[in-house]
Amino acid sequence: MTTDAPARPTAEQTPEAAATARKYSNLGLGRLYLRRFQRNRLGVVGVVIFVLLVLFAAFGGRFTSYAYTDADFTALTQPPSSLHWFGTNQGGNDIYACAVHGLQRSLVIAVSVSALTIVLAAIIGTGAAYFGGRVERVTLAVIHFLLIVPSFLILALVSHRLAGDWRVLIIVLTVFGWMSTARVIWSVSTSLRERDYVKAAEFMGVGPLRIIFRHIIPNLGSLLIVNLTLGVVATVLSETALSFLGFGVQTPDVSLGTMLADGASTVTSAPWLFAFPAGLVVLLTVSMTFIGDGLRDALDPTSVTGSAGGRR
Amino acid sequence: MVRYVTRKALGWLSMIVVATNATYFLASWFLDPRSNFKELRPVRSEAQIDRALAPYNLDPGVPLVHRWWDWLTSVALRFDWGKSPTGVSVNGEVGYRALVSAELVVIATVLSVVLGVALGVYTAARQYGWADRVSQAVSIVVFNIPASVAALAVVFVAIWLNQHAGLHFLYVAGENSPGVEGLLPTIGDRLLHLILPTLTLTLMGYVGYHLTQRSLLLDTLHADFVRTAQATGLTRSQAIRRHALRAALIPTAASVAFSVPAVFTGAVITETIFGWNGMGRYFIQTISKNDVHGAVATAAFAAALTAIGAILADIATVFLDPRVRVS
Repeated sequence: MTTDAPARPTAEQTPEAAATARKYSNLGLGRLYLRRFQRNRLGVVGVVIFVLLVLFAAFGGRFTSYAYTDADFTALTQPPSSLHWFGTNQGGNDIYACAVHGLQRSLVIAVSVSALTIVLAAIIGTGAAYFGGRVERVTLAVIHFLLIVPSFLILALVSHRLAGDWRVLIIVLTVFGWMSTARVIWSVSTSLRERDYVKAAEFMGVGPLRIIFRHIIPNLGSLLIVNLTLGVVATVLSETALSFLGFGVQTPDVSLGTMLADGASTVTSAPWLFAFPAGLVVLLTVSMTFIGDGLRDALDPTSVTGSAGGRR
Repeated sequence: MVRYVTRKALGWLSMIVVATNATYFLASWFLDPRSNFKELRPVRSEAQIDRALAPYNLDPGVPLVHRWWDWLTSVALRFDWGKSPTGVSVNGEVGYRALVSAELVVIATVLSVVLGVALGVYTAARQYGWADRVSQAVSIVVFNIPASVAALAVVFVAIWLNQHAGLHFLYVAGENSPGVEGLLPTIGDRLLHLILPTLTLTLMGYVGYHLTQRSLLLDTLHADFVRTAQATGLTRSQAIRRHALRAALIPTAASVAFSVPAVFTGAVITETIFGWNGMGRYFIQTISKNDVHGAVATAAFAAALTAIGAILADIATVFLDPRVRVS
């Protein structure tokens, strides 16, 4: 503690000093994070793009009279025009309406899978680290095994039978997607379990579950939030890949992956079928990566990338 | 060394065995060969369908454990991976395709590692220089592009180049041209077809190595032993190459094994887009045709590729990391 640290304004202080002191004491943790996040320009760009995408997915449908299932038989495979803003596909579906619906579908899948994955990975990772011993060895063996097995093949195999339904796809993607995050969380929590506050809680007779949920997981907060954004990127990529191959979301439902698959065969003759979903996917993943980077700089006190003038 | 590699290889072999058997059960639960017969006319009865599937060890009437045991013994004793629901031998289908895919995956992995590590070292040594910033920005964007988009973008550019620059050696479909005779023309033709798919996979793969190698090397660049090495008279590039890079390469070598499944996933999509007759495309066909044995053979192939990558990574670690003692 230094004596000249900003203290509560008292009657003896000059008005200016009181104002500075108030300015700093009002800077709560949330404001501090916000300020550090704003310092990362790419992170702010990412937030703007992401908010625009969410608004597009939520309200974009209001600006068109077509639904993604409507077929306009007077306009088959037409390039973008004033009637069909993004053009139409071989079946006469309006690509704008499809893009709105597809983005909505992909976003919902990506965000919910990522959230579920983080919850699962946090519980498994911290549990393995806290209990140690045999539990830890078995969990790590399972994680390594699942990481080595080409999980994409298993995903394709399982989702082929169950999918078409995006809710089932969410579960399948979660079940086969938690491993690498769990491994990261495990390796970080192995040091947390040796901390004094965990030891103190143990000596006070706090149960293991309560220690994990009250003392270990909250201290992983920044790691979990950053991994949440990166998980969205990973999920979008694997959902697009699965749907592209015909195993994820299936017709008549539309996601960005199925739109890419539709446009794939006509890349040169009808590039708009491919360009719009491709652009949306890349905007979505790139903006999420920027946000993740910015959050890492803002939340992680040990991060070096933020301190060196906010450069990357 | 031989003993170390043998021990590691045995560990991986048991991993492959467990993985393949697990896939067999999953495939038997989730693929239903009976549904192949549902659209056939005249309509078959349940009993007729079961009788048609029985010779291929796919009869759903037989308990799964019996079918599994028959499949396992035929694989273990005769290396016979079974038959598809239409009676085509899986071994015959896989043999050629495995070569095609292995060629693609191995070349792409090697190129990605070389390119990624080289770029990582080059940019880490010039942190915040223009080359570092440009390649960093490019890599972050490429890292976020789905494999399908990347492959189609490559196709698009290749077709454009073919049309506008008058090139004729960029092939966007198939792994060879029909009607090419003789040994040298065949090899040349195959190599030309290999360019674009390999380029796509390398593009997808190098990014991870670039970004991790860069940050790993940045960590070691400021370590005391590198400064000491320079103090003893080595130039900066010598110190980086002999001391910093050697320490920074160890985690990269270990990560190669974990990247092979991702490369294989990329290969599935690349093969689909470029019309290659490889294992990736075969896997998709087997799933849509409910071919249990074919799907399991593909999974075994992918696991074997991963194991080979892992063993090579282990050997590389032995050479790089003085803390690993093998004798």
